[in-house]
Amino acid sequence: MAVIAEDITMAEPVVYLEKLSAFSGMLRIGGLSVSPKETADACQILISLGMDDREQVKTALRTVYAKSREEQLTFDQVFDGFFISEEKMRKQAEEKALQEQQMRENIEALQKMGQAENLTEEQQYAYASLPAEERDRLEKLAQKYQGNSRNPDLYAGFIHSVFAKALLEQQIRMEDAAIGCQATDPELGLLYRDISNFSDTEIPKAISIIQTISRQINGELTAKRNRKGHSGKLEFRRTIRKGLETGGSFYRLHYKKKRGRRKHLVLLCDVSGSMVQFSEFALRFIQNLNQVSDNSKVFLFSEELFEADPFSLQNMDLFRNYVRDCGIYGKGTDLGTALEEICARKPAVLNQSTTLLILSDTKTIDQPRAIEALLKAKCQAGRLILLNPIPQSRWKHIRSIQTFSALCPMVCCSTLQELAAACRRLTC
Amino acid sequence: MKIEELKQKMDESHYIYDDTLATVLFVALQLGRPLLIEGAAGVGKTEIAKVMATALDRDLVRLQCYEGLDESKALYEWNYQKQLLSIQVNMGSRDSEELTRSLFSDEYLLERPLLQSIRSEKPVVLLIDEIDKADEEFEAFLLELLSEMQVTIPEVGTIRAKSVPFVVLTSNRARPLSEALRRRCAYLYIQYPDMEKELAILKAKLPHVDDQLCAQVALTVQKLRSNEAILKKPSIAETLDWAAALDALGVRELTPDALRQTAGFILKNSEDMEILAETQSKDCGCGGHCGGHHHG
Repeated sequence: MAVIAEDITMAEPVVYLEKLSAFSGMLRIGGLSVSPKETADACQILISLGMDDREQVKTALRTVYAKSREEQLTFDQVFDGFFISEEKMRKQAEEKALQEQQMRENIEALQKMGQAENLTEEQQYAYASLPAEERDRLEKLAQKYQGNSRNPDLYAGFIHSVFAKALLEQQIRMEDAAIGCQATDPELGLLYRDISNFSDTEIPKAISIIQTISRQINGELTAKRNRKGHSGKLEFRRTIRKGLETGGSFYRLHYKKKRGRRKHLVLLCDVSGSMVQFSEFALRFIQNLNQVSDNSKVFLFSEELFEADPFSLQNMDLFRNYVRDCGIYGKGTDLGTALEEICARKPAVLNQSTTLLILSDTKTIDQPRAIEALLKAKCQAGRLILLNPIPQSRWKHIRSIQTFSALCPMVCCSTLQELAAACRRLTC
Repeated sequence: MKIEELKQKMDESHYIYDDTLATVLFVALQLGRPLLIEGAAGVGKTEIAKVMATALDRDLVRLQCYEGLDESKALYEWNYQKQLLSIQVNMGSRDSEELTRSLFSDEYLLERPLLQSIRSEKPVVLLIDEIDKADEEFEAFLLELLSEMQVTIPEVGTIRAKSVPFVVLTSNRARPLSEALRRRCAYLYIQYPDMEKELAILKAKLPHVDDQLCAQVALTVQKLRSNEAILKKPSIAETLDWAAALDALGVRELTPDALRQTAGFILKNSEDMEILAETQSKDCGCGGHCGGHHHG
C-alpha cells in the first residue's frame, strides 16, 4: 500500500486526514501505539507546514507519532515505505513481480521433485528463497535417491529430513535478516543483533548500551516500592523542634520513617562450554550490573559453583582473566549443583529481599535435580528471573528451555533490544 | 507563529540549531504539547528550554527532579506558620467557620514551580529537568498537568491554567519513562553535534577564542567521540569548558602536551585517559593541526 505524497493538495484537510489515518494504521501494524488524537495532531501540523519539504514533513510527523528512539526507527521505515515517489513505486512493483515469478518457478521445481506435498506453504517459500547452489544441491540429492526402488519409504524419509534441515536453517536466516533490516542506524542496529554475532569493533558500543540496560534492570529490581507512609511511631525530637518554630504548637506531627527493606541482587552466571559464544556479553553484563548495584553477589558456575571475588569485579579485564583462571570456564553445565549450593550457604545468600538473576542457556545435566533446586531457590528468593541468551524463536526446539520457562519467568536476552524490552516489563 | 519566525527568534538568541530541531520545536509549540527531550548527558537538552524562554520572551520556571520529589516541593504547600499565626490573631474576633475557610485561601498557599507556571498571567516556559530521576508516582502525578493543563488541590479544587506554559521535559534515559507520559508529549532525541555544528557553537559561545584553536578543539572532540573505546564521550558543555580553559592558559595551538595537560576537562575517568594516552602515542588527535611537531 503506497500513497504518492505529491498527489495530496494542501487545500484539502479532509484528504490529509484520510491519508494520515491510513498512515496511522500502517504505524500500528509496525508496532507503534497511535491514538486518533495523534492523527488529528499530525493533520493539524501538516495543514500548517504544508507538504513541500519532504524532510520537514517527516520530522514533524516523527515528533507527533514516535515517542522513543526505538519508535523513531520504526517510524522512519514506515514513512519511507508509505510516502514514496511514483517512479520508485513502479520500480518496486516491477522488482516484486520478477521476484514472484522466480518464486513460482522454484516452487514448480519443488513440485516436480515430489517434495511439495510434504512441506507447508511457509517451508515452500523458504525453499524458493534458498540460494541457487543450495537448491541445486537438494535437487541433485532428490534425483539421486528418489529412483531407488528397493526401499522407497526409507529414502523418502531421508530426503525429507535433509530438506527439513535446510529449510529450518533458511527460516532462521530469514528471521535474523528481518530483524537485522530493522536496524539501519548503526548504534541502534546493535540492539537488534544477536549478541553472539558482535564483532570486536562493535563491543565498545555494545558496552555502553549494556551499561544503560544494567542501570535500568538494577533500578527496576531494587526499587524501594511503597516508600511513602510512616512506621506509626512518633518522632518526638523532630516534632518538638518543628513545633518551636510555630510557638510550641504541634501543627504537624512527624513520624519515624518505615525501615525500607533493601533489595539485593544475586547474579548466577553460566560460564560453561555451551555459553562460550555469549561469554563476553555475559561477563560484561554481570560486571556492569554488579557495579551499578550497591549490594550484589556474583556466582559463576559450570560443573561447580564459584563465588566471584568483589575486587576482580572492579575492572573488566581483571574479571575476564579471573574467570578464565578459576578453572570452571568452558566446562559442562550443572545448574542443579550450583543452585543447591547457593541455597545451602550459611549465612543464607537468598532471602525474601533477594532477586536471583540466572544468566544461562539452561542446557544442563541432570535436569530433574536442576528443576528441584530451581524450585527451592524460587521459594527462598523473593524473585527469580532466568535470562536466556538463546533467541526466542529457537526456544520451541529446546526442551530444557520449555521446562524451565514453565517454572519461572524467563527473559530472552539474545539481542540487547530484547533485554531492554524485558527490563521494561520487569515492573509489571 | 510560523517556523521562519521561530528560526529568526532563535537566531536572535544566538542559538545554533538545525532544521530538525526547529521543526520539532515548532510542532510542539503549534500543538501546545509538552516536549520530551532525551539524549546523552551534556548534549544541550536543558539549554533548549532556556533558549525557548529567551526566544519566546517568557520567564523560565525550572523544576529539578530528584528521587523523593513530591507535590509539596513541586506543586504547592500550605504556609503553616502563617496559618497558625492567623488563628492566634483572629481567634476571638472572627467567626470560626469563616476563619477556617480563610485559612485555605490563596493568601496561605505557597506556590511551587508547577503551580506557579500555570497560575502565571503571562505564559512561561516550564522546564521539568531530569524527569527520569523522579519516582514513578511523581511521573503519574504529572499526567493531569501535562494533558489537561490543570491541577487538583483537595482543599481548593481544580485549578485550570491561566496561561498555557510551554513545557519541556528532559531525560537521560536512566530509567524508562511510562508510556502514559510519553504519549502526552512530542518527542525529540538529541545526538552529539557534528563537526560543523560544534564549531559553530564554539564560535558563538566563545567568540574571543582563536578560530584555529576552536577548529582543533572541535576536531579533537569529534575524534574522541568517534573513538569507540572511549566510554564517557565528551559533552558540548565539556567542549566549551575545555576551549575556555585552553584560552585562559594562553594556548593558541593544541599541541600534544596541551592536550595531555588539559584532558581532564573532556575525559572524566582513568580508563578513557589511558586510551587517550595510547592514541596520542600514535597520533595526537589534532588531525595534523598542531603543526606536525610530533609527526617526526
